[in-house]
Amino acid sequence: MTGQSGGLNRAQVAVLYLVLTSAIASGIAIYSSASTITALLKTATTGLFLPILLSLIVAFLLDPAVQYFEKKKLNRTLSIFIVYLIIGLLMALLLVLIGPPNWKAMAQALKADFPRYIGHAIDYLNGVLAGLHQHFPIIKNYDLAGQLRSASQSFVGLILVETPKSALRLGSLMLLVPLFSFFFLRDSRSIMRGLISLSPNRYFEMTLDIYARVSWQLAHFIRGRILEALIVGLVVYAGLSLTDIRYTPILAMIAGATNLVPYIGPIIGMIPGLVIALVDLGVGGQFWWIFCVYLLIAQIVVDNFILIPILISRVSNLHPLWVILAIIMGGKLYGVLGMIIGVPIASILNIIIIEIRRYRRSLNPYNRLFSTRGRIL
Amino acid sequence: MNPLWQNIFRSRGYENTLAYFLSTVPAFSKLDKRDLAVLEHLVHVRNYTADEVVFSEGDIGSGMYIIRSGQVRIYTQDDLEQTTDKAVLETGDFFGETALTASRPRCASAKATESTVLVGLFRSDVEEAIRRHPLEMAKIMFGLNRVISDRLLQCSLQLDKLMKLYGTEQQ
Repeated sequence: MTGQSGGLNRAQVAVLYLVLTSAIASGIAIYSSASTITALLKTATTGLFLPILLSLIVAFLLDPAVQYFEKKKLNRTLSIFIVYLIIGLLMALLLVLIGPPNWKAMAQALKADFPRYIGHAIDYLNGVLAGLHQHFPIIKNYDLAGQLRSASQSFVGLILVETPKSALRLGSLMLLVPLFSFFFLRDSRSIMRGLISLSPNRYFEMTLDIYARVSWQLAHFIRGRILEALIVGLVVYAGLSLTDIRYTPILAMIAGATNLVPYIGPIIGMIPGLVIALVDLGVGGQFWWIFCVYLLIAQIVVDNFILIPILISRVSNLHPLWVILAIIMGGKLYGVLGMIIGVPIASILNIIIIEIRRYRRSLNPYNRLFSTRGRIL
Repeated sequence: MNPLWQNIFRSRGYENTLAYFLSTVPAFSKLDKRDLAVLEHLVHVRNYTADEVVFSEGDIGSGMYIIRSGQVRIYTQDDLEQTTDKAVLETGDFFGETALTASRPRCASAKATESTVLVGLFRSDVEEAIRRHPLEMAKIMFGLNRVISDRLLQCSLQLDKLMKLYGTEQQ
């Protein structure tokens, strides 16, 4: 303390000044280096998210097959190689049987047809808008058609530009995904054991139990979802190939992929098929059959009544609000891909939270005396 | 030779491996090397300091422990916080096996009395291993079953003895 209370002498002011400046300078330095480090990390990890996610999914899908071979007293690495070999052979067989897909012709046909479909859709929309305008004159004559047209043109341009790029990415995916999933399949157990063994003794058993439950639920959820999408795609393919509609394989793939997104996905997956049917076949028996295939057979009968009760457990059901939020947030982060994988990721988080809560509930010693609805057992 | 320099360059013998230790446990004494290899990758080795609680009475258990080295005290606690020692277990003994087959609350507490190494065998790992190595797991579980059945037999014999004693006392 100096003599004057409240005031500081010159030396103290100098020290304070130095300390403050150095603090601010080091703060700025830390902040900038931290942001450069995060930026570096970000650039280093861009494009890794998708391959890792895909290879995790592939690993989850292939695990039962690998286990099947392991049961025959083969070691795990060999079993994985055998599974890979079988899949490779199946793909080769498929290529030989069907022949390599004629990408060029398909792309050219799509390039020619796409504007036509969009044009028809726009005409139809214009008709609807004109009708609306007649009935509700309050609505401004909004130039929806023009906007749609320019949007579709830019979309086609985007496809043309992005195709070589995405082909490159597809190539790297084809290389990375099998590699990553090989290591995930072989070493995930030891990696997870290592991580779990880090937990302190007191919480070790709990961690192990929760991990086992979460991984079981996750495996079932992922396998169920993929299988569901596959079957819905096949059903749509079978249903559409009964009609004269073109691009059946692409439409079936779209229907299967969008089926991964609950509630909204199937509706969006329907639109391209319906537009093509409307333009090429017109409103008639075939159009209504296609509509039935999409909505009644694929969605209601096959998906809701057969697949979901069998494949997907009730645990992983998300509230519709969360589904919509996940779709919006996924779309903001990763575009269309984010919309598709946003909901599964939200469901995975949901499963983790539910399993932790369930475990905590089972920790309650009085829990055994009551049912889940509070009735005495 | 100076004892400081002994054993440094000698490779770890089979006697020091986890698999050898497991084969000395009575429950797993009849397993061959292949089964032991499966078991070795199934268990978790955990280190406890002196006076560290392994689990407390009423916890949800998820598996059993085998003592590799050290000592573990098994005790119960009543409402007045009075502890009653049930057993003091040494190297090669196992405890907590009731929680292996179903998640039951622990019926006693366990505490390490000195620094102890435990080998844990847990239900979730066993369930997974049954899917992957059914034959080996059948042998492992059979060995455990043998020891537990022996204990049950001992228990019922003792109970008989007590019943007889009680009967003569009543007369």
